[in-house]
Amino acid sequence: MKYEKPSIGVYVCHCGMNISPKVDVENVVAFAETLDHVTVARDYKFMCSSPGQEFIIKDIREKGLNRIIVASCSPRMHEQTFRKACEQAGINPHYFQMANIREQISWVTKDSAEATAKARDQVAAAVARAVYHAPLTSREIKVKKSVVVIGGGIAGIQAALTAAEAGYEVHIVEREPSIGGHMAKFDKTFPTLDCAACIMTPKMVEVAQHKNITLHTYSEVDSVEGFVGNFKVCIRHNPRYVDASKCTGCGICTTKCPSKVLSEFDQRLTHRKTVYSPFPQAIPNTPVIDRDHCIYFTKGKCRACKKFCEAGAIDFNQQEEVIEIAAGSIIVATGFKAFDPTPLSQYGYGRYPEVYTSLEFERLNNATGPTAGKLLMKNGKPPEKVAIIHCVGSRDSRYHPYCSRVCCMYSMKFAHLVREKTGAEVWEFYIDIRSPGKLYEEFYNRIQEEGVHMIRGRVAEVTDIPETKKDEGRLTVVAENTLTRRVLRVPVDMVLLGVGLEPADGSDAVGRMLGVQRDADGWFNELHAKLAPVKTAMNGIFLAGCCQGPKDIPDTVAQASAAAGEAVSLLAKGTVRTLAEISYIDPDLCSGCKTCIEVCPYTAISFDESRRVAVVNEALCKGCGSCAAACPSSAAGIRHFTDRQIMEEMEAILL
Amino acid sequence: MHPFVIIKTDGHLSNAVAGFLKKLLTEQIADAVLAAAPTPYSLLPMPTLFTAPDLIEKADPLAPAAPFNSARQAISVLKHDTGKRIALVLRPCEIRALIELAKLKQCSLDNTLLIGIECLGRMENSVYLESASQNPGLTQAFYEDPDLQKHICSSCAICTRFQPVHADISLCLVGMPANECIGLSAETEAGLSVLKQLGFETSEAPARREDQIHRLLDERKASKAALLSENKDKTDSIEKFQRYFADCLNCHNCRVACPVCYCRECVFLTDVFAHDPEVLLRRASKKGMVKLPADTTMFHMTRMAHIAHACVACGHCSSVCPSHIPVADVFIRVAEEIQKLYDYEPGRDLSEAIPLLVFDENTGNEGI
Amino acid sequence: MSDFEPKIIAMVCNWCTYTAADLAGTSRLTYPSNIRIVRLMCTGMIDAKYILKAFLDGADGVFIGGCHPGDCHYINGNLKAVKRITGVGKLLEQFGFDPARLKLQWIGASEGPEFQRHMTEFVAAIQAMGPNPARDCMIL
Repeated sequence: MKYEKPSIGVYVCHCGMNISPKVDVENVVAFAETLDHVTVARDYKFMCSSPGQEFIIKDIREKGLNRIIVASCSPRMHEQTFRKACEQAGINPHYFQMANIREQISWVTKDSAEATAKARDQVAAAVARAVYHAPLTSREIKVKKSVVVIGGGIAGIQAALTAAEAGYEVHIVEREPSIGGHMAKFDKTFPTLDCAACIMTPKMVEVAQHKNITLHTYSEVDSVEGFVGNFKVCIRHNPRYVDASKCTGCGICTTKCPSKVLSEFDQRLTHRKTVYSPFPQAIPNTPVIDRDHCIYFTKGKCRACKKFCEAGAIDFNQQEEVIEIAAGSIIVATGFKAFDPTPLSQYGYGRYPEVYTSLEFERLNNATGPTAGKLLMKNGKPPEKVAIIHCVGSRDSRYHPYCSRVCCMYSMKFAHLVREKTGAEVWEFYIDIRSPGKLYEEFYNRIQEEGVHMIRGRVAEVTDIPETKKDEGRLTVVAENTLTRRVLRVPVDMVLLGVGLEPADGSDAVGRMLGVQRDADGWFNELHAKLAPVKTAMNGIFLAGCCQGPKDIPDTVAQASAAAGEAVSLLAKGTVRTLAEISYIDPDLCSGCKTCIEVCPYTAISFDESRRVAVVNEALCKGCGSCAAACPSSAAGIRHFTDRQIMEEMEAILL
Repeated sequence: MHPFVIIKTDGHLSNAVAGFLKKLLTEQIADAVLAAAPTPYSLLPMPTLFTAPDLIEKADPLAPAAPFNSARQAISVLKHDTGKRIALVLRPCEIRALIELAKLKQCSLDNTLLIGIECLGRMENSVYLESASQNPGLTQAFYEDPDLQKHICSSCAICTRFQPVHADISLCLVGMPANECIGLSAETEAGLSVLKQLGFETSEAPARREDQIHRLLDERKASKAALLSENKDKTDSIEKFQRYFADCLNCHNCRVACPVCYCRECVFLTDVFAHDPEVLLRRASKKGMVKLPADTTMFHMTRMAHIAHACVACGHCSSVCPSHIPVADVFIRVAEEIQKLYDYEPGRDLSEAIPLLVFDENTGNEGI
Repeated sequence: MSDFEPKIIAMVCNWCTYTAADLAGTSRLTYPSNIRIVRLMCTGMIDAKYILKAFLDGADGVFIGGCHPGDCHYINGNLKAVKRITGVGKLLEQFGFDPARLKLQWIGASEGPEFQRHMTEFVAAIQAMGPNPARDCMIL
């Protein structure tokens, strides 16, 4: 690289009384004048003020300075200010360097002579490094005006609608035959007790009808390439064996299908046909043929559905299809999976028929569920006494240490619904009640007023061995009431397990594909817990809903709207700028060992097989320097933090 | 125990080995064989790529000399898959280097047959040329005469990894009377299938081999401990380090000879260390005087920082030093410590990750 | 060696430890002036050369400050630094440098007082060790 001969201006700021008199500013200026390549050195009361900046601009123009050093506050404070001044005066902003003599010297040093000596060193360091600064530019890249939303639950739906309403093309990818996710399975929602279907289905229909939204159900994301503004997303459409363009959704195929399997949507409490829509309000309403169980596919005969389909929509030869979408941003809304309580054998799930998980209870309670919404036990009778156990799989170091956030509230919702529908006695066993949310605490009070027994204690055991003969055939819940320190044995007819939430199956693969990290529990990591809760470390990829951590519907919807807002903001801007301070790889030095590729956390380096050298994708690189440190020949380096700049900086301090 | 084959030498060790290599070509097991052979113009054996069965009779891979660590020559023919199967006759340190270079994507070992030599050491080039000119049968004599073996170079004399790791077939010499026979040990399935294809009968390895290997290993371990301790005394302060490298000419021969210094261009030859005169003058003015060329200590220490984990202890850095600095001694000493730190052994296993490429996800919060 | 004033290079990452150093400043937490801060984007970019260079140029100590594990702005640059820095420490130890002259510490952006404490402690530790033996090095 060829550098023009450096001519350096050094400006030492008094910052009112903040830097001087602790640092002897005049002394530092006099010292700076002695340094190599320094043409001019000055001090001023407030360098960041307009007159201060004018000084710099005037000197650049009149004295032909091509490097500027300001010794003042932290670069986090005013680096941009002075870079802009340099740009205004016509030199590249990266010819500017700051020496932090306020936060890191005058404010932290007791002795004035020591502070001055330290300031001299830091100025010398800045001068020495600036000699080797290079003019840097960043590129502007056009953003594709579309969003891919992975996951079609309430988070994905909300995000998609928000972005689509703003006028952008949206693709929703959902692996199930219908969108709707978990929320479509719910009966009522806490704390308002409005019917989930009543608020969910209109949104689903809106998605289906929105001119800007394309639905890819029964589909999965195969691969993602590219970078912010320019992702290439390959979506695999699994064959439905029903031609959506011909299907009228009449349902005759389902009616005529002779084969039945357990319904996943109904949590295996009832059956569905092998050609089916998961639930009546499914979107789209085109059924799918479950190839694994279809008699035609397994035995080669039947074809009842085809025979009866007047529209001729059944197509046993349909093949999977992979389509490629160019997207400016991606919203991850892959949701959660309910914890499987089988390993907690003391609760008897799977052993006692009247022990249900919360999702099973949602279906049991749902008008479209196996009992048409009547709360009945397997023997067809309503329960007289119901126990609800909180924190199953949550707040438990053996399973998930975290609180799943929604279980207390939905458990109390269940208590209310049981009381309302059957009048049964309800016993809730909790560790702590977590009800922080609008109207949540009020709901907690309400169910207590409704006569629900709230017992603070983790349940030790659910057993079918009764304490007394009269409870034969019932279940007994054993727990210590930790408030009264008494062990309780409560005979009940039905036990509901408040199972926790865990990351959806396959989210590890999604994370790897997108380069989005997951935390120790498997939830996707947001960029910043407080200030960037829906962004990820991958530019242009945003998080919505439970995939980032357990949350309830209001939080999910709010976060989904936020994710869509971020995505739309990026798309509306139209272009993205690449960072200037990023990696470069000198092809003449590169040995092709691919070490840099292995250490890059952003998959920003690829290998050019024809030249056998590594190549940086400037749009993906964030300038962390992992590659630079790992490259022994320094073929890889970070602009503005080059070996030479850093070593010169140190040498000027030390020698 | 690996399947073992005994090959009669009938008083002609080099011929027996060359005969075996010839079969690899005639039986079309390999399309080419890389093995050391003297050129028509000098006795010094050079890595030579053979394809003609008639000419491979000149190969003498057991000659106790090696002007290079041939891993570098090996990768020049293994850079990418050519569709040709290449057999390579290499010393253990060369195989170790080759494995490291394969990890660094400098070559592909997919279509190779690695034949490792149980290595009793190499002589420095000048020593070898002198001995060989006086003794035309030096190769065989070397394996028969322990006195001749004392002339090996200092790095070989402390080598404890003289048995090939990662070879398909090992050429076994320890405990074998070289004038009568040598052994071929099939270390891999591929190696065994080659030996079977060539119609060799497998048998037991001579019982005395184990003993002799152990005895040699113990001797080497003792010599190594002595040399490293002596080196420590010579280099355990920065003052002594400067004395040790005082005659260094910054010629970088050591890095050129180093088989695992794989950079196309050394960073010390790039802009990073092409100092402006202002920088040199500033150094001089602060210190009163500085030696030029600059960055001598920096060069050697950086080279250690870069590749001590991969040092295969071949000793070629010492052999090529025009100032006769025992570069390898200090390198081997440091490499021992670094390899112990990372629990890493170069060439041990192709699938063993290079230490700096893996990091501990569970790094604690306390710092170091 | 009580009057020995060491010179210490602190290579700190922009996102955590540099910010903590700024915070120490805004909180007016004083610490010995022997520290010279070199700002880097991430500890993961610290090349072995930088540490060797600092010691050969006479730094009495080298302090490396980065984000706590899990907090790295670049996901895991800090973790990559650990092994490299440990290795360089081991290397320097072979040539008579006290490995304690090289220290790696995680100091988060909000840990101004921690920054002050670590600087104070490190300066005291180096003071006790005396000058870097390479201060008089002329074959650099």
